[in-house]
Amino acid sequence: MTATPAADRTRLAHSLVLLIPAVLFGLLVSIQWRTQSERNELTVRYNTPLLDAAKALQNEQSSLKVQLADLRAELDRIQASASTQSGAAKDLQVRIDDLKTLAGLNERTGDGVTITLDDARGSVAAKDIEKSICHNTDLTDIVNQAWRGGAEAIAINGERIVGSSSIYCVGSTIMVNGTLMSPPFSVAVIGPQNELLASFDDPTQLKDIKQRRDVYGLGFRVSRASGLRVPPYRGALNVRYATPR
Amino acid sequence: MRSNAGVIAVTVVALFLGVLVVTQIQAQDVYSRSLQLETPVSLTTLIANLSERNNAIKEEILDLRHRTDTAREAIASGKGSLTEGERQLGQLRVFAGMSAVSGAGITVRVDGAFDERALSDLVNELRNAGAEAIAINTARVGPRTHFGATTDHALTVDTVAVRGPWQVRAVGSPEVMYVAMTRTGGIIGQFQLIYKGTRFDVSKESVLDLPALATPLR
Repeated sequence: MTATPAADRTRLAHSLVLLIPAVLFGLLVSIQWRTQSERNELTVRYNTPLLDAAKALQNEQSSLKVQLADLRAELDRIQASASTQSGAAKDLQVRIDDLKTLAGLNERTGDGVTITLDDARGSVAAKDIEKSICHNTDLTDIVNQAWRGGAEAIAINGERIVGSSSIYCVGSTIMVNGTLMSPPFSVAVIGPQNELLASFDDPTQLKDIKQRRDVYGLGFRVSRASGLRVPPYRGALNVRYATPR
Repeated sequence: MRSNAGVIAVTVVALFLGVLVVTQIQAQDVYSRSLQLETPVSLTTLIANLSERNNAIKEEILDLRHRTDTAREAIASGKGSLTEGERQLGQLRVFAGMSAVSGAGITVRVDGAFDERALSDLVNELRNAGAEAIAINTARVGPRTHFGATTDHALTVDTVAVRGPWQVRAVGSPEVMYVAMTRTGGIIGQFQLIYKGTRFDVSKESVLDLPALATPLR
């Protein structure tokens, strides 16, 4: 039985209809597979030992901070017991304690505001990713705005912001006082609530963050908060080069 | 029949195709922050930074152990612990920006257009590089210092206007801070790309004298 030319054409059309999606299918499968395999190779070859080293250093830092806190507490106890011996020692102890409170070395509790900052959730066009995620500069802008609004104490995800604190960014990882953290960020700010809220509501301030919230879905919210607890700074004071004049 | 089979085959393939296209698009759009996905370069930088911080804490632990022992002995011998207390007070006053300080460090000179967010980023970068005390022109930066701008292009440090050219002086390790500022892809390099007409100079200094905070913390 021989096929008519019309039947041949129909078969050819059917084959083409299947061929084009099949080629595309193959292309996509291979792209997907290559992306996956490149990532795995890199991870195995370089990242695993580096990742282990970074985690080990972070764990070491946590235990060093505990030791540091214990020693500070012990020195405080010795000072306090000495301050019962003389009036001068007692006066000195009061001054030290006041200064520790001002410098961020004592825990603070009180009312204020909480700011939450988070990457946009849900799908975002690839070209807009940078605008939809939080950067360390967003956190420095928020901290700056909080001090402007009269903040007395600030902590980001439990890390107290003091005179030596930096909000550092490596790749997509953010580090505050040497502690690695990732979104969502919760910034606890103790201070006068109305002034702080007005400072964050000011449309001329944090324009970039607010625009990215409205257009790209960046998570940014400021809310009134009561009974906030801001922990003390637990890192090194690191005064080695500077001498008082 | 035959034509129905063809339609079904095409539909199945199209469905697969649809699923794959969507998967591919999603893969590109989901931003993951897992440490596992950092590049080896980023991880190496992170490790160097963590290591530096851990060393600083270790040094302080050694110093505190020594001071704790000395204070304990002083009390036991009836001398009291005024010396240790005074030392602690001195250290805290430097840390809180309450005393004028001297020491080695670096100066970053900025001449031209600049803004308060860049100034805040520069201070953040200096702190990350271990700056112990920072001043902008004659205004000392404290733990609660904030930056702003006036309508006539001056910047403000704790509401006090500071006018350009700006001298940002930082006491700390001159080598570490100099490299942190001037490295390829570092903050000064970024500033030079953004503020094209502005001149940025970084120099190491053997002695810098910085004032105390003009308004002490309360």
